[in-house]
Amino acid sequence: MTAEVDAGMARSTGASTPIPDTAARRRRWKRLRATALVLATQVAILIAFLVFWGHMTSRNSAAAFMFGSPSAIGGFLLQMARDGSLWRDLYVTGSETLLGFFVGNLVGTVIGLSLWYSRFVSRVVEPFVIAIGSIPIIALAPIIIIWFGTGLISKVAMSTLSVVIVALVTSYKGALGVDPDQINLMRTLGASKFQVFRKLVVPASLTDIFAGLKLTVGFALIGAIVGEFMSSSEGLGHAIFKAGSLYIIPKVFAALVATIALALILTFIVGKIERLLMPWRRL
Amino acid sequence: MTDVGNAKTAGAASAVAGGAVVPPLVVEHVSKGYEVNGEIVPVIGDLSLTLREGEIVSIVGPSGCGKTTLLNTLCGLLSPDSGRIRWHGREVTGQPQNVGYMLQKDLLLPWRTALDNAMLGLEIRGVAAAAEAEDRSRAMLDQLGLHGFADHYPSTLSGGMRQRVALARTLVHEPDVLLLDEPFAALDFQSKLLIENDTASLVRQGRRSLLLITHDIEEAVSLADRVIVLSKRPTRIKAVYDIALGAERTDMIGLRQSPEFSHYVRRIWADLDVVLQ
Repeated sequence: MTAEVDAGMARSTGASTPIPDTAARRRRWKRLRATALVLATQVAILIAFLVFWGHMTSRNSAAAFMFGSPSAIGGFLLQMARDGSLWRDLYVTGSETLLGFFVGNLVGTVIGLSLWYSRFVSRVVEPFVIAIGSIPIIALAPIIIIWFGTGLISKVAMSTLSVVIVALVTSYKGALGVDPDQINLMRTLGASKFQVFRKLVVPASLTDIFAGLKLTVGFALIGAIVGEFMSSSEGLGHAIFKAGSLYIIPKVFAALVATIALALILTFIVGKIERLLMPWRRL
Repeated sequence: MTDVGNAKTAGAASAVAGGAVVPPLVVEHVSKGYEVNGEIVPVIGDLSLTLREGEIVSIVGPSGCGKTTLLNTLCGLLSPDSGRIRWHGREVTGQPQNVGYMLQKDLLLPWRTALDNAMLGLEIRGVAAAAEAEDRSRAMLDQLGLHGFADHYPSTLSGGMRQRVALARTLVHEPDVLLLDEPFAALDFQSKLLIENDTASLVRQGRRSLLLITHDIEEAVSLADRVIVLSKRPTRIKAVYDIALGAERTDMIGLRQSPEFSHYVRRIWADLDVVLQ
């Protein structure tokens, strides 16, 4: 029994259809069990990988030097947490990433959606967008450092540049993907172009915009880290670069683990916001 | 889109004979074609029809005969190549006012609840205060048998219920004329009969006019006062039937079994000249 009852029937009962309690509970339990199984498998793969890694590097010092070992990586993580550098680096890289993420997505999405307004402007702009989008952002890093210095701003700029074109393209695609029949309907209801934009195009593009947001979390982080590689005195990219040049490979991995954690946390937050902003998709 | 819904009087067209009842919709010699690879492909040949007040007219035609093009032309989404369309005696630029439009696709906005979807038209026009718009939309949903479903999102409703929400959205601003393009084609038979019945009675109660485009001959005959049969492209009117089955058609199933009903259906079927393979 689902909520899919035809209105003809609903009229006779006169109220919304209650879902039987036990069936709902059984379904929830089934779903929970499936999730638990997925999670358990993921953890098992991770543990097997770490055990294999630990085993291969435990009796071979050359391998331990080249590849690090899980225990050494854990040791460095602990040490970095104790002396505070881990938190400092996470904070620095995290704020660069977030700023770049926000600015890039804001600018990209606003431009992308506005392009819906004018077919003329979007056609004029298209080749430029493709050209700019094809520039590897890393190639811009030296110039960005020259323009914006070695501090926070240059990393935010790198991060923003990594995000903005993707955000623009995904939101524009979302806006173009709106069903023309739906636009016609709005027009027959008397909607102005702005009303069509605000009440239809923007909310209809949210799905694509959020797909873009999830994608660009990683891009923003890459931008920030590449910026730190070029020139910096703190941040996870700095830690990776420094440990790498000193051949302390477990420390490189330790900073990498922190970077992955940061990416996961940011993606998780974006997912939460998505669910909050699009409650109809939860159903 | 500057002149949306802005009825402009077009010269002589406004000179309506005093006293006579002006039909809500008059179509005179309308033609419409599309350009494909530099060639004009005619879709609507030369079409004239009149929709009188309180009348239900069905239009049937072979597949691909340009029914949808006709509807889009009528409601101002396309402009005719020649001919005139007069709403209440006046030619209109842009979208005519007080016309409700509904398609086979319910076109509900998934991020709006049933109630908010039904309110869309009132909200866009800003005709009513928010509270009044909500009351009217709620009442319309109740009337269409959706009591208790106002706060449901479309994704949790069945096809029949979604189409009822779409109907509520169409009817809530009390249009004089409804233009429906195969609105029930995607529904199962039971839902279809129920919603057809409700639509017809709401239209008749409110003395509204309904132009129903459909490929379902039985639907056309069972609902309409008049059935217009269209030819293949370029579309012209092939035949017109006045359906004398009485205006009060409460027993839809019984009606469909009557000999008069089958008689109309058979003749229209013959007119459509469907080639069976």
